[in-house]
Amino acid sequence: MRRFDPYGDRSRIGLVVVAGVVALAGIFTAGAFLADPTMATPDPVAYDDTVELGVSSETDEVMAGTAAVPRVQVFYSQLQYVVGYNGVESFADTIDDDRTERQFGYPLVAYVETFDDADPGTTDPEAGTTDPEANTAGSDPGTVGSEADTIGSGAALFSAPGPTSWTPADEARYVVDSEARTSAGAVAVPFADRNAATAFADEHGGEVVDWATVRARSFDVDTAATVRSMAPDRWTVADDRLAAAESDADRPVSVVVGDDEPTLSAAVDAAPPETTVVVPPGTYDGPIEVTDPITIVGTDAHVRGDGNGSVITVRAPDVAIAGLSLSGTGNLTRDADAVSDPPDADADGGEDADADGGEDADTDGGEDPAAWDTNVQLGYGHGDAGVRAIDAPGLFVDDVAIETDASGVLLREGSDAVIRNVRVDGPENWQDGFMGVIGMESTVTVTDSAFEGGRDGVYLHRADGSVVRNSTFTGNRYGAHLMYTGDALIADNTVRDAVYGGITVMTRPANNAIVGNDVRDSPAGIQASGTRTYVGYNTLADNGLGFSTSSRGSLYEHNVLAGNEEGARATTVVPSSRVVGNDFVGNDRHAGAGAGALRVWTDGDRGNYWEGADAGPHAPGDRAYRPTSPVDAALHHETAAVTMAESPAAALLDRLLGTVPGARSGSIIDTAPSPEPHVPERVASATDPNGPPVQGDWRTALADQERSTDDGGNSTTQ
Amino acid sequence: MTDALTAVSTVLRRELATVARTPGYALLSAGLLVALAGLVAVGGGGATGFVPAIVDLLLPAEVLVPLLAVVLGYRALLVDGASGELAVIRTYPVGVVEYVVGVLLARLLAFLAVVVVPFVAVGVFVWATASPDTGVFATHAGVDSPLLFVRFLALVVLLGAAYLTLSAALSTVASSRRGAMALGVLVLVGGVLGGDLAVLRALRDGTPAAAIPDLVALTPNGAFRGLVFEHVVGVAFASEGGFVNTGRALGSLVGWTVVGVVAATAVLAYGRRLGTFVERVRVRLVD
Repeated sequence: MRRFDPYGDRSRIGLVVVAGVVALAGIFTAGAFLADPTMATPDPVAYDDTVELGVSSETDEVMAGTAAVPRVQVFYSQLQYVVGYNGVESFADTIDDDRTERQFGYPLVAYVETFDDADPGTTDPEAGTTDPEANTAGSDPGTVGSEADTIGSGAALFSAPGPTSWTPADEARYVVDSEARTSAGAVAVPFADRNAATAFADEHGGEVVDWATVRARSFDVDTAATVRSMAPDRWTVADDRLAAAESDADRPVSVVVGDDEPTLSAAVDAAPPETTVVVPPGTYDGPIEVTDPITIVGTDAHVRGDGNGSVITVRAPDVAIAGLSLSGTGNLTRDADAVSDPPDADADGGEDADADGGEDADTDGGEDPAAWDTNVQLGYGHGDAGVRAIDAPGLFVDDVAIETDASGVLLREGSDAVIRNVRVDGPENWQDGFMGVIGMESTVTVTDSAFEGGRDGVYLHRADGSVVRNSTFTGNRYGAHLMYTGDALIADNTVRDAVYGGITVMTRPANNAIVGNDVRDSPAGIQASGTRTYVGYNTLADNGLGFSTSSRGSLYEHNVLAGNEEGARATTVVPSSRVVGNDFVGNDRHAGAGAGALRVWTDGDRGNYWEGADAGPHAPGDRAYRPTSPVDAALHHETAAVTMAESPAAALLDRLLGTVPGARSGSIIDTAPSPEPHVPERVASATDPNGPPVQGDWRTALADQERSTDDGGNSTTQ
Repeated sequence: MTDALTAVSTVLRRELATVARTPGYALLSAGLLVALAGLVAVGGGGATGFVPAIVDLLLPAEVLVPLLAVVLGYRALLVDGASGELAVIRTYPVGVVEYVVGVLLARLLAFLAVVVVPFVAVGVFVWATASPDTGVFATHAGVDSPLLFVRFLALVVLLGAAYLTLSAALSTVASSRRGAMALGVLVLVGGVLGGDLAVLRALRDGTPAAAIPDLVALTPNGAFRGLVFEHVVGVAFASEGGFVNTGRALGSLVGWTVVGVVAATAVLAYGRRLGTFVERVRVRLVD
């Protein structure tokens, strides 16, 4: 043993040193109690670096730079990320939500964008005059931005071309009830200086209030629950469009091909507007160009193109085409010059970058999205198709079969169309063909149709309000693929063997409803980005991934996820969606999570059904379930996982997770797993390899829900 | 230096030498470091910041800190008495108070080295490694600061000190090593579980919930837990606090420590006389 002399000089020195260190530590500790860590106020960051929640900014006006939305950035006590909000209203709406505090802590500091030197004003309303009174008269004085206030074309959008700055929210002044609006409704405009606020109020109406007043107001901020409640209506709207199209197409016969005119082309040219051309059985040569509002009705009639261009081109409103089969399209899928012209914008590259970014990190791809968008519009809308419609609103394509090497039905420039009972067969290899239905800036209604092969079954680009329902997609790249398209309904479709995925929504649109679809045997079921998306009543089986929660402020409920490699994946860094009432059965991994705060997939006492969650000596639903924990994830296919799960260590860890969730990373917890599957019948079908496609009875269920809960729109969705 | 200080310092150095010659303590320290590091690593809180790391460590600290304090204290004042060395020491100008304070200070320093150093190591690890998952977005620390960890450490020291002096005090009444160990276990179980069980019992028997902040402060563990919630973890929550009555909790932790010192001194100073007195009473009663 080494020598140690407690009374030697070195020990004395050592003792003095120890005493000194202890004294210093004591002083430092006292300092630690005196200093207040909550007083640290971080400085504002560049807004683009925040994780954005709330209203999507990607409205046309904002993108074009003519309109502005006051933005907020918030530093929460438990969250490492700086959260951005578009609109003071959407922040004010979330801070009072319990879940916000439970998950992120309280706001340490919030900065609002102030417009003192930004030359604030309004865009010129197209109507020419806007009566400031008209904007506020209809709404409850305590309510800002109700749905009814949503702007039409005649409202004055808030604009601020100049430079803005960041001011702590509680020091700023706000002008409310002015004539200025945003696309989301009324807007509170923040100013750092009271005089600037007063000046704005003098010019544009409204009153100047402080932060406490703004907070105390209630805001009708649209939520995904609103989208849910509107889904059945959208179905009805599609019915109405179909009925209108049918009645428009019912026109007197003027020409019969073969009897009155020798060729189909001649017959179409000869037919007066508002009449019907009858096409008897047989094969006819295309291409055809329709320039009058007429109906073309065939019986076993086959129209054969010459292998160049489109078979039928429509350039008139209210044209109806029925009972034909089309073939012989050209194989030009898009205008190659337009797509490849700018050196930096290859369409495919841009698209994929956007998809990845949107899913994983809520960012746009590296390329300039506006330039890419232009290229797609120029390029995608200019290929060959079975039916090509340009500026042809009211088109009705019914009972038509199309064999194509490019697109099936191409709609462009406001060619709002109803497509029913159409079958499009594309090439087996998707690279060789193009879209089954491609809608560019057109509202499209697709129903009872089938799409096999080719690139995307239905591709919609700036096609707000479109409906795709009751259709079957087999072997496409994507079944339904939406870009810059909001307010759409994708319902009761069946997708099999997609090459990339079943239903995908890219860019950042809002208010889409994806309901009652059945996607199987595809790399991904549903990948929807954007905000306020309703993903409900879908059956996703035997896919690589069931759905990803890429869309923010959204609802993912009543879905069945069975036999997928991964049932669901939490992607957004800051959780803002609600994932409850889903059934997870037989997935290799029920759910996974990317980087970001802990996701709580429970709403009050409602959770999801996880096969295996109730394994072990527990009352069913008693124990929290963490699909991202290696032990819990194995419970449904490894009995010994129960032994591990009951260890004191695991019990201890269970306790720890869920505390300070904002600072926990990459995990999912369901604190109230459901003891039983919510929809056993759909689960049974989904787990049967030969199970028929199933659609949840969502229209009845949602209608019942609306009736039973008048305040259904207030369900807690952040 | 006054005589008393000299005496304390002399005893302190002697006791430090004893501690330094006990290799088991180094092993204990290493074991604690492994346990803490493992918890922080598996719990995942350490990857993101101090507050989640402290949440991960709170429950283990409530068990491990008393355990190690008792291990350091359960024989502190027993061996000298049992071996007769205390009697020898008493022939020098060293009072009982100086002796007890010197021994306990040395043991407290040992506690700092054995227990607090591993906690500090974990804190340094968190400080060096905690970072956000992704660099795509702007990040900030939230309410998370090394200062909070320092606060936590300070409370760990207070908790340990209470258990150390209490177990040392009990060691004075033990007559054998085995007895000391039993008494140490008693302190441990009574402190870690007993106090809170008593509070739970009281609540079930109708004590109003408003009394919880005061009741919970009475036991060392309750006081420690309350103070950690109030001044460390709770800082990240918006609520105004009220997890414990801070003054009472601090008083409780310090009070238990003082009680231990006083009791140890009293037993050593008057224990024999008390024993004689009890024996006399017994003899008189029996007769």
